[in-house]
Amino acid sequence: MSFKIKINDKNYNLDINPDTPLLWVLRDHLNLTGTKFGCGVGQCGACTVLLDDEAVRACQTPISTVGNKKITTIETKTDKTVQKLQKFWVKEDVVQCGYCQSGQIMNAASLVKTNPNPSEEEIIKAMDGNICRCGTYNKIKTAIKAATAEV
Amino acid sequence: MKRRDFLKTTTAVSAAYVIGFYIPTKSRASETKKDEKALQPNAFVEITPDNNINFIVGQVEMGQGTYTTLAMCIAEELNVDWKNINIVPAKIAPVYYSVFGPLMITGGSSSVFSKQLEMRKIGAAVNEMLIKAAAKKWKVRTYDVYTKDSKVFNKKTKESFKFGDLVSDLSTMKVPTNPKIKELKDCKFVGKPHSRHPKEMWEKVTGKAEFGIDVRVPNMKYAAVYHPTIFGAKVKSYDASKALKKDGVIKVKQIPSGIAVIAEHWWIAKEALLDIDVVWDKDEFKNTSDKQLNTQYSKAMEKHGASMRKDGDSKKAFETADKTIEAEYDFPFLAHAPMEPLGVVVHHEKNKATVWSSSQSQTMALKAISKVLGVKGENITYNTPYLGGAFGRRGTINLDFILDGAYVSKDEDFPIMTLWTREDDIKMGNYRPKYKNKVKVALDKHGDITAFDAKVASQSIFKGSPFAAFGFKNGVDGAQKEGLVDHPYDIDSHDMQAFTMDSEIPVLWWRSVGHTQSAPTVEGIVDEAAFAAGVDPIEYRINMLKDHRFITILKDVAKKANWENRKKEKNVGYGVAIHESFGTICAQIAKVRVTKDDFKVEKVWASVDCGFAFNPQNVKNQIAGSINFGIAALKYSEITINNGEATQNNFYDYKVSRISDAPEIEINIINSGEKIGGIGEPGVPPILAAVPNALFDATAKRYHSMPIKIG
Repeated sequence: MSFKIKINDKNYNLDINPDTPLLWVLRDHLNLTGTKFGCGVGQCGACTVLLDDEAVRACQTPISTVGNKKITTIETKTDKTVQKLQKFWVKEDVVQCGYCQSGQIMNAASLVKTNPNPSEEEIIKAMDGNICRCGTYNKIKTAIKAATAEV
Repeated sequence: MKRRDFLKTTTAVSAAYVIGFYIPTKSRASETKKDEKALQPNAFVEITPDNNINFIVGQVEMGQGTYTTLAMCIAEELNVDWKNINIVPAKIAPVYYSVFGPLMITGGSSSVFSKQLEMRKIGAAVNEMLIKAAAKKWKVRTYDVYTKDSKVFNKKTKESFKFGDLVSDLSTMKVPTNPKIKELKDCKFVGKPHSRHPKEMWEKVTGKAEFGIDVRVPNMKYAAVYHPTIFGAKVKSYDASKALKKDGVIKVKQIPSGIAVIAEHWWIAKEALLDIDVVWDKDEFKNTSDKQLNTQYSKAMEKHGASMRKDGDSKKAFETADKTIEAEYDFPFLAHAPMEPLGVVVHHEKNKATVWSSSQSQTMALKAISKVLGVKGENITYNTPYLGGAFGRRGTINLDFILDGAYVSKDEDFPIMTLWTREDDIKMGNYRPKYKNKVKVALDKHGDITAFDAKVASQSIFKGSPFAAFGFKNGVDGAQKEGLVDHPYDIDSHDMQAFTMDSEIPVLWWRSVGHTQSAPTVEGIVDEAAFAAGVDPIEYRINMLKDHRFITILKDVAKKANWENRKKEKNVGYGVAIHESFGTICAQIAKVRVTKDDFKVEKVWASVDCGFAFNPQNVKNQIAGSINFGIAALKYSEITINNGEATQNNFYDYKVSRISDAPEIEINIINSGEKIGGIGEPGVPPILAAVPNALFDATAKRYHSMPIKIG
């Protein structure tokens, strides 16, 4: 089946099995490898991308369900929220192995877009679906707080 | 009582007592190919004519911050423009071998303490050469020349050369054999807090970093593997006719571990596994279960085991004891579950091959692939991407996922990425061994411990492995004794025995290895003794400790946590633990809050003495990460065995800590100036004891099993 999708402001035409999860379309068909495979069952958040402004688990999103929604991934060069979070991720030295951080940042972007001034509790609630085995959680909290405190 | 030396344990990941380093030598300098434009003093620093400066690191970067810290060591002496250097993974060569023997391996928290001196000397050697070369060109004395920001400056004329301008001059010079380096206390870069190298950091926050799973080479195909769920089961027969009809499926082949599907895309390969019918030969192992293993362990422990430590007269001490405290600890199998699923890319082309492997040991991976493909190691190009977490798992001794990739790619015409699912990762073993520890201490009438007996039953990590010669001796596994036989307390008598259990479930080192069982055991029973003696647990420990480093950090953490004035609150408890691992001593105080059937670690104070913190910011990051890693094992993670297979499958039943579990963490570093220790692991062991001790404080109940179930 053929699909027209828009990723990071770029249009793509694909002829693909409609059941293919967005994660594998991004990674294996389009070589956009910034979005990560972690569990394949929507439990770890490593594959988080934005559909419009909403965070979704790309491994649980068949390409046929994307429709006209614009897809934003960690590779975006225009999304201001993502860019701001990236800046504070650097500033707070969040990253260890770094594998989960694309998903962490994209999930945080969705939070910040809908709630520009999240409380600590709201941050924890929003980010609890994203696993980091290196345990960078404390710094993730700090980075989101710092990013949202900046006017 | 006399102070006694620490007994040295000998596991492959903690045996780094000797700081191995090379002083640049003439013979090493002569290895530099004269016809090469790029200068490579000892293959650690590369300078190109267009002033690209590459620091080449033999250690893999799996989150522990080694690239940055080792690069800092070079940059301390070689005055480069830090943000513009490149940190490049090394190819396989003897010059990068680890302290564990003639192989490249990253583990045992060894990178910085084993490599720092060599890196500093190499930086100094290159710096000295650059100064000499420039001085000769300008016809001035060397003290009129200095280096800064990847340039050499003439103090008098203010002229400058880029490092790259001097490459041809350098290539004819000898590498100094004994360059002068700064004392650590005089260092300006090392010892100060630094973030990850900006290039690594930026790649990792923008999705550009290439992990093993991100490798893309032309014409690459993908493979998924149908593995048995029962440990030790083999394929008896299979029918892949349905799978082969699927769009995008290229080939189905049997490999030693199961049935592999090669397809145009990985998702197609993985989905096609569902269409394969496999008959497994599995009768032999289908009865293995935790229940059966527990019985087996307990029964074995009724006998006398292999001696790990025997001194004093423990029998007499128990006979004359005022009090005896006994405890039985149970620690389950644990999967590492690094965030990046396991995989490897192998391209086999007749007599040569190219590999992209995120293994912790480049040498072990290369050897395994070489053997399977029948291609000589020197004809294999080996590439190291970033590792998306490892925690020991990618240092696999049985090389499971690497072998899968080699067998899948053998004799195929194209490069193939063989990638495991999360389920493969959780169910395929190589777990932290299951441990059953029975311990008892004898207390005299003053409440002092006079004897400490222990029985430890577990599978051996090292037995039968290439590391057996030093990791498994006299029936004792290195991971059974480390942190136990060399505990820091002054106790007269010991009788400590090990019991080596066998099963078809492969076991492996897991972040901090044997210390994951010894720390909660030693620090648990000592805490019980303190309570029985009616003495404050910190005071009790200090009374028994002789090493001033332990006493200093214990006092420090008590002060930071305001221990003496801690508030008594209902359902709140405080617990302490101190443990040395990988040459580093870490003390932690945990504050927990207990609800009806759950608990939350609210705050952790940590003090750490790793001798000298090369990058204090990374030291703190590693300790904080270790605490969160340990909380997963305390609260959630366990692999249970039933009908010969792991019960757990993925993160929904193999649970790990999440952001809601993360406590507030305060860390203080004490630079004692003593021998340098590691930092990737030593934060894990103390939290595994501090939390159960805090739970006792809150509930008056001792917790001897993990994961801890309240209520």
